[in-house]
Amino acid sequence: MAETVLVRERLSGDLRQPITALAWSPDGELLAIASAGGELLLLDFRAGCEELLRGERDSSLDVVGFSGDGRLLMAAGQSGELLLWELGGSGVRPLAFAPMALGRGWIDAAAWQPGGALLAVAVGRTARLWDGASRAWREPPLELPGTVQALAWSADGRQLAATCHGEVALWQPGAAPPDKPPQRTPIASAGLALAFSGPGRQLACGMLDRSLLLWPEDCQGQPWQFSGFPAKVRHLAWSEVPGRLAPLFASAAAEAVILWTQMNRGSKAWSPEPLIWHERRVNALAFAPGGTLLASASSDATVALWDGRGRLLQPLEGQGEAFNTLAWRPDGQHLAAGDANGRWWLWPVAVTAETL
Amino acid sequence: MAFSSPVPTAERLPVTVLTGYLGAGKTTLLNRILTHEHGLKVAVIVNEFGEVGIDNQLVVEADEEIFEMNNGCICCTVRGDLIRIIGNLMKRRDRFDHLVIETTGLADPAPVIQTFFVDEDLRDDLRLDAVVTLVDLKHVDQHWDSEEVQEQLAFADVLVLNKADLVSEAERAAIERRVRALNPMARLFTSRNADVPLSELLGVEAFELERALSLDPGFLVEEHDHAHDDAVGSLALVEERPMDLDKLGGWLADLVAERGPDLFRMKGIIQLQGEERRYVFQSVHMLLDGDFDRAWKPSDRRRTEFVIIGRDLDQEALRAGFLACVA
Repeated sequence: MAETVLVRERLSGDLRQPITALAWSPDGELLAIASAGGELLLLDFRAGCEELLRGERDSSLDVVGFSGDGRLLMAAGQSGELLLWELGGSGVRPLAFAPMALGRGWIDAAAWQPGGALLAVAVGRTARLWDGASRAWREPPLELPGTVQALAWSADGRQLAATCHGEVALWQPGAAPPDKPPQRTPIASAGLALAFSGPGRQLACGMLDRSLLLWPEDCQGQPWQFSGFPAKVRHLAWSEVPGRLAPLFASAAAEAVILWTQMNRGSKAWSPEPLIWHERRVNALAFAPGGTLLASASSDATVALWDGRGRLLQPLEGQGEAFNTLAWRPDGQHLAAGDANGRWWLWPVAVTAETL
Repeated sequence: MAFSSPVPTAERLPVTVLTGYLGAGKTTLLNRILTHEHGLKVAVIVNEFGEVGIDNQLVVEADEEIFEMNNGCICCTVRGDLIRIIGNLMKRRDRFDHLVIETTGLADPAPVIQTFFVDEDLRDDLRLDAVVTLVDLKHVDQHWDSEEVQEQLAFADVLVLNKADLVSEAERAAIERRVRALNPMARLFTSRNADVPLSELLGVEAFELERALSLDPGFLVEEHDHAHDDAVGSLALVEERPMDLDKLGGWLADLVAERGPDLFRMKGIIQLQGEERRYVFQSVHMLLDGDFDRAWKPSDRRRTEFVIIGRDLDQEALRAGFLACVA
């Protein structure tokens, strides 16, 4: 089976502290890598160079991302500041904005709007919006009854979902004024992860109480509810490839990855396929862009590649350290991952028709 | 639900929970912990930045957020903010080797304690070392009836009677007696400016079963009515005859099912019929843990010692239930 995905060679490099987050620019030419020591490294593949945008400073960075137009880079973490850089393209030195202090809380969730200029940042009990077009904060923010645990934009950039203990809020902040009030759905526990499907517009919420909620099309109506997971459901991923009904979906709880296929529209609509391989907690999960190839990064020091039917194609090994995070290049043919010893890895992944 | 984790104790990060009413000296003690040369790299989670904070120290602010996990069941109430912040902090595990959590002066310590036993990640990555409660000797009288003060005293593994320089020895002794009646199993220190030797506060291992009990010997001998008129009180039970484990287990299971929210902490060393080893037991609300410990030594006083700290304890019923477990 290993022949179907070929990892021909790999690149790697080191930061000083455990890697916490990775992000690719939309054109796939830049890779930003953040660490628990606050380092931020920018790799520029076209120019063949790298720049340490921020050195070690004993204050973790935990989230990093490029705006949809690729012109802005964001990072945030322990200090409660939002850091932004303006990017001039390959080979041009990024220009740092003055850090914006947002309070004393640790920021670990932030996301750029797909196809738009808005940046959503979880700050305490609010989801705040910074507008990359006007370079200003949009008021009012989305208020939640508890600390925001996770944020997600729909693929079309129209809906923003946020969750805290007791609630999932859905908002359309870009809609013509006056903004529609957010749609608030009570939940029995705390949401830890949110993910919208692209084509189907379903919304999934992984929960602290070892359950999973899945709202059907346009997030209307009653969600499907799945329980009995071995642990918190902390990572979710949707394939971009439309399915017969919903696209393929994956969840991770402790070491268990499950691949979900929607079979019908009834109450027992979803068929779960457990993917057995990891021995320790799965820390990141992502489908390759445009495909059904799934990558899972684990504390067991492996990254596993799975095909759309749940077959293990290839385990990737690093240096024996836990993998904390991973990110597919937009071309779907390169996979980056970061480990707990500060090493980043880049594997070219040859995708054949069979793996799609 | 048990206290135990499949991960060995030595691999888990020790956590000290620091409680105490407003003005009891928590900030003073935190600053001592942060500046003292004790060879430990300490990370601190505070409820608000204030006077705590020394350059080059890891101090993180948390916003006390209570998660009711299971239809409001009190034993499933945890601190959601700690789960999130500690999850982030643990990626920097090499940066510190002891964690201290300061609660607000008005906090019930139970959700903090339970977080470390209920949450799957925290249970495997950390271990609760001790609950340290500071008592303001000068002012505790004024707040004695507050629920928070009583809970903080009841849940303590280590009690620090602070500001001894502001009261007479007679006043100090009177407060010590009241505190002891409420919590007979905590280790007790008297201090000025929270100047307790830090080795007595960090690395206590109060939640390790083999340290299940360190009763004040005087407390057991006196056998007075420990509940007084306070809503929160304690009961110490001593039995020379061996006990029956099945009976005891059944009694305790029923007890926590019926009275769990009112039972703050229980600890016991049990002498079992036909068993050479000690059986040790402890609980926090409805979380129970018990296991066989080392064999009785010739120097041990071979008997059962059992302490219950809680609210509105029915001493007669508890004593009768306990005695019915004699083998």
